[in-house]
Amino acid sequence: MNQDASERYCAFCGLPVPASFALGVDSPADEIEYCCSGCRTVASVTEAEREQGAAAGGLLRLGLAVFFTMNVMVFTMALWSQDVYTDPSFSTPLAVILRSVFRWAALVFALPVLYLLGRPIAAGVWQALRRRAITTDLLILLGVSAAYAYSVVSVLRGSGHVYFEVSSMVLVFVSLGRWLEAKGKRRTGESLDALARLLPETVRRQTPQGEFLETPRGEVRTGDVVRVLPGERFAVDGRISAGRATVDQQIVTGESQTVAKSVGDLVFSGTLNVDGDLRIEVTAADGSETVSRILNMVRAARGAKGRHERLADRIAVWFIPAVCTIAIVAGWRQGQLAGWDQGILTALAVVLIACPCALGLATPLAVWTALGRAARSGVLFRSGLVLERLAYLRHACFDKTGTLTTGVPAASELLTAGHEDRQRVLQVAADVAGGSTHHLSQAIVRYAEQTLNERIDSEPASVETLPGRGLASELPGLGRVVLGSRWFMKETGLEWPDTIPDKVGEARQQVGIGWDGIVRGVFQFHEQLRPETTVALAACRQLGLELRMLTGDESSRASAIVEQLDISADSNQLPEEKAATLQSLAQEGGVAMVGDGLNDAPALATADVGVALGCGADISRDAAGVCLLGDDLRRFPWSVGLARQTIRVVKQNLFWAFAYNGAGIALAATGRLNPIWAALAMAASSILVVVNSLRLGQFPEPTPLSDEASSGTMTDAVSWPRPAADGPPPRLASTSP
Amino acid sequence: MIELPLILVGGLLGSAHCIGMCGPLAVSLSAGATAGTNHLARQLVFSLGRVFTYGFCGAVAGLGGAWISSDSRSFVLSQAWLAILAGAVLLLMGLVTAGVLPRPAVKRLGGLPCGTAGWLKTFLTAPGWSAVLVAGVFTGFIPCGLVYAFLLKAGSSGSMWQGLLTMVAFGLGTIPLMVAVGYGGQFLSIVGRSRLFRVAAWCIVLTGAISIARGYAQLDPPTDMATAPCPLCEAQPLE
Repeated sequence: MNQDASERYCAFCGLPVPASFALGVDSPADEIEYCCSGCRTVASVTEAEREQGAAAGGLLRLGLAVFFTMNVMVFTMALWSQDVYTDPSFSTPLAVILRSVFRWAALVFALPVLYLLGRPIAAGVWQALRRRAITTDLLILLGVSAAYAYSVVSVLRGSGHVYFEVSSMVLVFVSLGRWLEAKGKRRTGESLDALARLLPETVRRQTPQGEFLETPRGEVRTGDVVRVLPGERFAVDGRISAGRATVDQQIVTGESQTVAKSVGDLVFSGTLNVDGDLRIEVTAADGSETVSRILNMVRAARGAKGRHERLADRIAVWFIPAVCTIAIVAGWRQGQLAGWDQGILTALAVVLIACPCALGLATPLAVWTALGRAARSGVLFRSGLVLERLAYLRHACFDKTGTLTTGVPAASELLTAGHEDRQRVLQVAADVAGGSTHHLSQAIVRYAEQTLNERIDSEPASVETLPGRGLASELPGLGRVVLGSRWFMKETGLEWPDTIPDKVGEARQQVGIGWDGIVRGVFQFHEQLRPETTVALAACRQLGLELRMLTGDESSRASAIVEQLDISADSNQLPEEKAATLQSLAQEGGVAMVGDGLNDAPALATADVGVALGCGADISRDAAGVCLLGDDLRRFPWSVGLARQTIRVVKQNLFWAFAYNGAGIALAATGRLNPIWAALAMAASSILVVVNSLRLGQFPEPTPLSDEASSGTMTDAVSWPRPAADGPPPRLASTSP
Repeated sequence: MIELPLILVGGLLGSAHCIGMCGPLAVSLSAGATAGTNHLARQLVFSLGRVFTYGFCGAVAGLGGAWISSDSRSFVLSQAWLAILAGAVLLLMGLVTAGVLPRPAVKRLGGLPCGTAGWLKTFLTAPGWSAVLVAGVFTGFIPCGLVYAFLLKAGSSGSMWQGLLTMVAFGLGTIPLMVAVGYGGQFLSIVGRSRLFRVAAWCIVLTGAISIARGYAQLDPPTDMATAPCPLCEAQPLE
């Protein structure tokens, strides 16, 4: 996996600073960096809001510049109007004086625009120059200054054209475009911000004296004891040291059902304490707890560049020298043909229209938005590259147990020796099993309930749990009843009737029940498909993926599932064999391996894209490129769909950027494009790319399963709260007693 | 220009219609100011910013109209058609506002685009004159059917300066009510407002009718008549 992460991040939007053309080695700069002048401006406003009150900074600057530009435009239009229509009054001496006044007025009103909007751009240019990098901003600034200087000379000489409106309008459009672009970029991180805002700002930490004092989250250390009240979210990871509670872990595991937790259980940051007054001992403090780990993973994923992005980067590096050359050559030629002013305007138009903003934004914005969108639905990509690979997938391989099936077997059949009363055996088995929480016992109770069609509220007098073997209980009238494995039956001295066969067919497990020296009945356990498996596989097929099941089980056991799902299967696969199968499939195109990540780590690592199900809090599992927080299989085709949509958007963006730049440069270099239109087009182009990319944030959720199917162990999609516009971060309601 | 005073009145009374959208902005202007500032002056500066934008747009429209007229074969003809178009739009707007015609998609312009409100508020609540002026300048750009109708009128004037004057007259007309609203809050009762609405609506209808009449007169110049017919006589509102 390529991890050439960019080390520099924008101080405003948090996105990596794009590559730029540099003359020499970067100086190790500790200064605050921004990826564009838009971010710089917006950051200066937010900065100002914090320090000196609203609008003291850039926004007001932009507003005033617009005001002055409008003035410049009015005076320029007054000059233009003589070219447009004739009026007898135009030739009067007064009109001649007025014309001169208008030229001076335009000069004066354009000055503040140059100062207000030119300065932040100049600051960025200066910072880049100190790093010996040449940016398009430098070229724009040079062009605008040249146009202004030429106009000043014209006014002083009293003849020649003036282009104050050009320099003002160009600056306004460039700044406005950058501004909106910066705002848009920041929105790519909205989903992540919403998650980060879930963590309470303060926690109640126990002091050495035993009191609980409200403390900022960042000051809590591992080993501290923290009190969490009902209705609060955990700010850190910890182990419960006192109290019991129901916990909503949907944020982390995707499980919509709440979980009961008591002393000794782990709780994760971001999850919700529904009803308990808890003391927890911190195991992972701020910055390393679960939510932070998720956020860090997505942020790290942004740094790793995909194929498209590296292409854009490579082009961007050569763009500036190329544009410089074209601008100078075209400007010089137009200067020869139509005078210096036209030369300057042509060069400026070339620089503006060729600004590689759209090109540089095309890929990263789309990928970053998609990463954030996926994270909001509980799908974590390890890098943008994985997203790209997922889009070009041809094969999808699935592990069986725990992936296509729930991993928890269900009792499907009760075998009895011919003469036994089935009803009675079932009843007794349910009574005994009801006293245990083991998943096999629970499965027996469920089976009994379904078969007998009644709720079983047994009161097991005393059920003895023999770990690893089974259960035993004294029942009135029957004596000692045991429930457990075949081996346990033998150990207890029960006779296994010949009429009951050993493991039949694809049954995964058998549990016997017996009393009075004889095994009375045997429960057969089968693997259970996940409720969403059929839908998920159908969705995969619809995406044109070729499906295959890789399992370590014998083919006899897999056959029922193979039949049910109509999927080709490789059985008896050792982990190394799985890897080999994947490698041979990889010859034909991208292969994904979907597994639960526990026992198929080698396969996940071998595949082009490893998809781990049910990562939950344990996202650090390295083998998988994609982590599904929950264990909803439908998230896999959903992710593929999202990846494809992302690549589509990337291609649209790149196509647009290339087409626009190519056509624009041709127009501008031949002197057919006014710089004002070029600046407007540049802003519009960047905004188009931003808006197109942000559409990915609205990628729809998969349709929920019908009620019938979703009963059982079905998990809902992880739903993180939609980002609130500017809601306050959750705080603790009251101080501690 | 005979219409200028009428446009002023159109703006004055038509601004009852604007209170719905621009009123809250004016009110928040007062709400955001720190104690001791001159509220009236703030309101006036804000409105001047608006009028400035209207004037600017009027100038652009006027120049645009002139450009269209000079481009087409007959200068007079296209100007006349513009005047008729502007008149028709004004007439329709007026009739819709008066409730004679059903309200069509005009509703869609009725809400301030959500994105704008945020940063506009930054200006509105900021201390200092420049922020208030800028807030006014941007408020002038808020989509408004009435402004567009008068802009068409400005365009039909066929001259940059006359376009500018038209819109400035309209803008000045809107000042009293806007300042009053911003300064004193909601001083009109619902009944009073709806009555004002009606008067304003008919005023706009009248402006539109005059514009149409003038355009028509230009279209078919009465060669044998010494003076142009009184436009008011021809354009009685359709009561």
